[in-house]
Amino acid sequence: MGPALALLGAALTLLAAIGVVRFPDVLARMHALTKASTVGVVLALLGGAVTLDHPNDVTTLLLAAALQLLTLPVAANLMSRATYMARGIASHVDGVDELAEHRASEEVDAGPGSAPAPDAPAHGSRVRRSGDDATQ
Amino acid sequence: MIVASYVLVCLAALGFGYRLLAGPSLTDRVIGIDGLLIVGITAIVLRAMETGEGAFLPVTLVVTLVGFVSTAVVARFIEGRGR
Repeated sequence: MGPALALLGAALTLLAAIGVVRFPDVLARMHALTKASTVGVVLALLGGAVTLDHPNDVTTLLLAAALQLLTLPVAANLMSRATYMARGIASHVDGVDELAEHRASEEVDAGPGSAPAPDAPAHGSRVRRSGDDATQ
Repeated sequence: MIVASYVLVCLAALGFGYRLLAGPSLTDRVIGIDGLLIVGITAIVLRAMETGEGAFLPVTLVVTLVGFVSTAVVARFIEGRGR
């Protein structure tokens, strides 16, 4: 059972690699990596925990699997949010874009009181830079 | 079956290495680094399953934590730098 789980995990990691190579968009590549490889590495670690005998090895593998499950989605969220905010990359967000709506509402809230021009504060300079380096 | 897992993981490492070298943006290179760390963790686990000896298994914990912290730091860097 352990080698079968490890083989399934390796296959999912290969699927993540294929997605990372072939997807056309940065956020799509991030999506492929974080979904498939999280499940893949957790399956491989569980396969090792099933196969090995010593309690030290089993607890180490289970702790590593739990940490991967905790940290990989958080890291992917941080990276994709930073990529979206920086806008150095041509990202095509279709459909509902809640982060843009949230940023627009923040600018409306901070706009009339604190700053006369909407492009004046530091938050606006980040927005203005988005048009400059739209190339990849 | 473990040999087949090795082959699949090596092919995945080729794909992630291509994205690390050729990725047009810094985010793509971080994606490649993350994938290569995952490939390394899987290879360590496969080696431990093959030999039955778990001396290298704490390395998986260290690689997990270092990968998370480095990804978070690079995310802050990208957000401030704007590219």
